[in-house]
Amino acid sequence: MTRLADISRCFQGVIPSVVVTSDGRGIPNVTYVSQVYLIDEKHVALSCQFFNKTRRNLDENPRAWVELHDPLTMQTWRMRIRFLHSEKSGPLFDAMSMRIQAIASHTGMAGIFKLIAADVFEVESLEKNEGFLSEAAVDTSEQTSLDGVRSEVRGLQYISEQINRADCLEKLLEAVLESLDQYFGFEHTMILLVDDCTKRLVTMASRGYGESGVGAEVAPGDGLIGTVARERKVLRISGLSAELRYGRTVAREHGTPAAEVPLPGLADAQSALVMPLLIGDRLVGVIAADDRDPLHFGEWDEAYLHVIANQIALSVDRITASDDDDDAPVISVAAAPRSDNRRTFTFYANDDCVFIDDEYLIRNVPGRILWKLLGEFQRDGRTEFSNRELRLDQSLGLPAIKDNLESRLILLRKRLDEKCPDVRIVPTGRGKFALQVGAAVELVER
Amino acid sequence: MAVFVGTVSPDGVPAGCRAIAVTSPDQLKTVTVYLPMATSRDVVANVAATKRLAIVGTYPPDHSTMQLKGTTTGVRLASDDEAEFVHYRLEKFADILHAIGIPRRVTRGINHWPAFAIDMKVEEIFEQTPGPNAGNPIR
Repeated sequence: MTRLADISRCFQGVIPSVVVTSDGRGIPNVTYVSQVYLIDEKHVALSCQFFNKTRRNLDENPRAWVELHDPLTMQTWRMRIRFLHSEKSGPLFDAMSMRIQAIASHTGMAGIFKLIAADVFEVESLEKNEGFLSEAAVDTSEQTSLDGVRSEVRGLQYISEQINRADCLEKLLEAVLESLDQYFGFEHTMILLVDDCTKRLVTMASRGYGESGVGAEVAPGDGLIGTVARERKVLRISGLSAELRYGRTVAREHGTPAAEVPLPGLADAQSALVMPLLIGDRLVGVIAADDRDPLHFGEWDEAYLHVIANQIALSVDRITASDDDDDAPVISVAAAPRSDNRRTFTFYANDDCVFIDDEYLIRNVPGRILWKLLGEFQRDGRTEFSNRELRLDQSLGLPAIKDNLESRLILLRKRLDEKCPDVRIVPTGRGKFALQVGAAVELVER
Repeated sequence: MAVFVGTVSPDGVPAGCRAIAVTSPDQLKTVTVYLPMATSRDVVANVAATKRLAIVGTYPPDHSTMQLKGTTTGVRLASDDEAEFVHYRLEKFADILHAIGIPRRVTRGINHWPAFAIDMKVEEIFEQTPGPNAGNPIR
């Protein structure tokens, strides 16, 4: 006998399910439902968004019939179910609502597409729709072999070691993304950390997207990543393409202004796995992966990434909490090669924004830090700086606790690498760095 | 177009089935819907007992959807003359799904012949495209 867990792919929402109900007079009604949620072996929940007729029918006749599709084989399964109750709050509602909220926010439909209720049903029977396919559906799902498990455990061990050894935030984030690609096949990934000043998420590292997108910001509640940050819950979505294509088209047609730094991401992503980086209830950041395969991320991946996310969160906290060390030796670095280039930095004091040759570079605290460094370099020829002196400089506006200075410096360093390689920030020891200027620099303040 | 039918048994147990084709000779006053014999046993039994039928047609690329409800006037085995039309509609369905990423060979694998043909007198038509007008009567 087939168990509901055996057909878990059918519950990923890649192909909409069909629901048939009937009113008290025996008039049938057919509708599509975006989400059939597997609660346990005896219960499922249907998302109640628009289908008022279905809802009214269930009050008159609690019996319903559902056809589910396996998105890999196209085989269909039929369930007879009986309506029990609706939930408008609580863990089940939150879990189902989060997916809808995330897609709605991502497509500019927040507040319009929303979950009204999670309707809970008892499953009376489940049967394979024999004869639906003319040839036996070939199950192409990957079987988890022992070798596969061993490889993933080795991957987990490797990532854990990389995280443990990392002595700076930049190495930590890069090592994690590289290892996820190598051992878990997560080719398109990014890590965003919370900026405690702005309360926004800032992209600190990415892999597999072409443009790095470092510096791209996401507000809590905005899109898939912002929804995960706000709810502090994991989001695993399959079958994204149609909804996201629609939303992106709407945004384009409405002329939504482009972000200063576009968030990296696959334009044709079909699945996504987004996870909060938490220490207790405190949000440190978000790790996100997407893929063109609608079924790329399974429960197995979610479980592994959860372990890794916990380790990342702890390590980010450890590294950013203790990056001052006045007694640490200073490593000498080669001076930047001089060029004949002339670069103009413009600081807009109104919004703490720095442009390089009329192109946006960076804003907020990292922008103020850059302005300080360039000013001291130009006035006094200074090139050696320390994290401690930045912390003591109240004009920079760093918060007294959890200032995330290390992550702000990484962000600044990467933005300079991308937009102005003539000016570099080079670590020279724990809590110390050098400003290397390889071009004539003009500073303009407006 | 994706077509699905819904029925209910005399004791109130709903059942449904994917249809392969639907056609109307008179601007949706009456329709004939074709169901694969292999998967429509419950639906045909319900229709024989209650004569009530709901038919939903959806265009998958943009989710535009319409629902027809009415009373059936006949159930028969589709004739050989109708086979070409049923095959043709499945091919068109395969083209539509191919455009949104489902390979044609997958859609062609859906069992579609022999088929039952159910004739229905249309009594109500509803808009069912997801959005604020879903559920509004069209006719």
